[in-house]
Amino acid sequence: MSVEAATHARPGEGEAVNGTALPLVVEHVAKGYDLNGQVVPVIADLSLTLRKGEIVSLVGPSGCGKTTLLNTLCGLLAPDAGRIRWHGRQVVGQPQNVGYMLQKDLLFPWRTALANTMLGLEIRGVPAAEAEDRSRAMLDQLGLHGFADHYPATLSGGMRQRVALARTLVNDPDVLLLDEPFAALDFQTKLLIESDMVSLVRKGGRSMLLITHDIEEAVSIADRVIVLTRRPTAVKAAYEIELGSDRADVISLRENPDFSRYVRRIWADLDVAIQ
Amino acid sequence: MTTDIGTSMVDASKPAGSVPSPVARAKWKRLRFGIAVLATQVLVLAALLVVWERATPKGSPAAFMFGSPSAIAGFLIQMAQDGSLWRDAAVTGMETLLGFFMGNLVGTLLGLSLWYSRFVSRVVEPFVIALGSIPIIALAPIVIIWFGTGLVSKVAMSTLSVVIVALVTSYKGAVGADGDQIYLMKTLGASKFQIFRKLVIPASLTDIFAGLKLTVGFALIGAIVGEFMSSSEGLGHAIFKAGSLYIIPKVFAALVVTIALALVLTWLVGKIERLLMPWRRQV
Repeated sequence: MSVEAATHARPGEGEAVNGTALPLVVEHVAKGYDLNGQVVPVIADLSLTLRKGEIVSLVGPSGCGKTTLLNTLCGLLAPDAGRIRWHGRQVVGQPQNVGYMLQKDLLFPWRTALANTMLGLEIRGVPAAEAEDRSRAMLDQLGLHGFADHYPATLSGGMRQRVALARTLVNDPDVLLLDEPFAALDFQTKLLIESDMVSLVRKGGRSMLLITHDIEEAVSIADRVIVLTRRPTAVKAAYEIELGSDRADVISLRENPDFSRYVRRIWADLDVAIQ
Repeated sequence: MTTDIGTSMVDASKPAGSVPSPVARAKWKRLRFGIAVLATQVLVLAALLVVWERATPKGSPAAFMFGSPSAIAGFLIQMAQDGSLWRDAAVTGMETLLGFFMGNLVGTLLGLSLWYSRFVSRVVEPFVIALGSIPIIALAPIVIIWFGTGLVSKVAMSTLSVVIVALVTSYKGAVGADGDQIYLMKTLGASKFQIFRKLVIPASLTDIFAGLKLTVGFALIGAIVGEFMSSSEGLGHAIFKAGSLYIIPKVFAALVVTIALALVLTWLVGKIERLLMPWRRQV
């Protein structure tokens, strides 16, 4: 399997013919880890596609190898088999223009909200004045006007996660990879941030891959929900979510009768048993 | 202040200005606690001094063996007037500061840079443990042979007392940098040097400052041990000389000055810490 994949992976082969390469294509990726000489499979065989401007949610039972998948996608781990193509190319190391967000906000306590937001621009060598302007504008857009000079310790959990979101979005990523970014927040805070995030992502024409185990979150945000199996992980089912045209309003979507139908079907797919 | 409804209604009927806000009340509570702690400390010290003074009447054998607070105070005044107090304190203070500075500079730079290479840090580890286990006083004779009997040998003793502790604490701080934050830096495209500068160093500051506070005392011990071995001035010299002449109150007087010096230096480090880590001040 891996030999075959390797021989096919000639440079340039992944480029789309018509020039509009898909942001992310995952083909038959497998990944395991070594435990006392035995390979324990975590991801069995996983394929998925992320189209431009599309929001895809991955839902799976807890412990289904989400973190391994994320680390493999972003190049921290090499897949044992299969191919990952970003914008039509296989990349070594970190892909360009991809923003990540995790459940922990990972803000640096010694930096103010503004300085935390500027981190990525600073690393890329964007001039300080420009980085500051862009970061301030992003914080304003996320409702943090007046909090730019606050240290994280003086901000609430929701505000901290908003700063983390600003830190991700200010780099203007084409693709966002999110690993349960709002799982630690209370329900209202989570809905408000989600709705702000979705409108910013959709307005910017960005693509987003959201890993979560909150089915309602997945259905309310995504254009497509992919259900994963237990470990070793594979795709179990995929749903195109059709809930009308205004997908930015994630709050009123929840009143749509189709919303709960999707949630029930995915819940049934997940096959969660009390253990 | 009770919380039952009757009283709070009475409170509400008073003019608004006389009702303290919860914030002001919490502040007052903290202040009152601080005053109580300080008052108790002063009382304990005063009681000790009174017992000491009573137990050592002037001219008694006990006064000769243990000194007495009044005799100690007498020596302090005398030393302040003839200038030896200030001179000795300045000499020891200078040795301590130089040793503190050099030891921490070298130790912290080495400790932080060990973060860069797991290989080097593994190679160095047993050597660091070996060096750290040497009692510094055992090095004093060699240090005097190498660096002479002047200022340099005391600074060297002081530096040696500090350097390993500074190395270990700063290395611990550096490797303690959050793995997920390193991962975040990588995904933002940071180079190893950028991770080091923007994440590892600031993340280590808490441990580095813990090390600084610890090593103020070590630097002072190093300087005084150096003065014990051979010197013509400094607090260690004063203690050693008074001790050999059986002038116990003068030993205590010099000790009091040493303690005061340690307190001043520790206070300075705390000041610098608050200056360099403003994000902790706001909390």
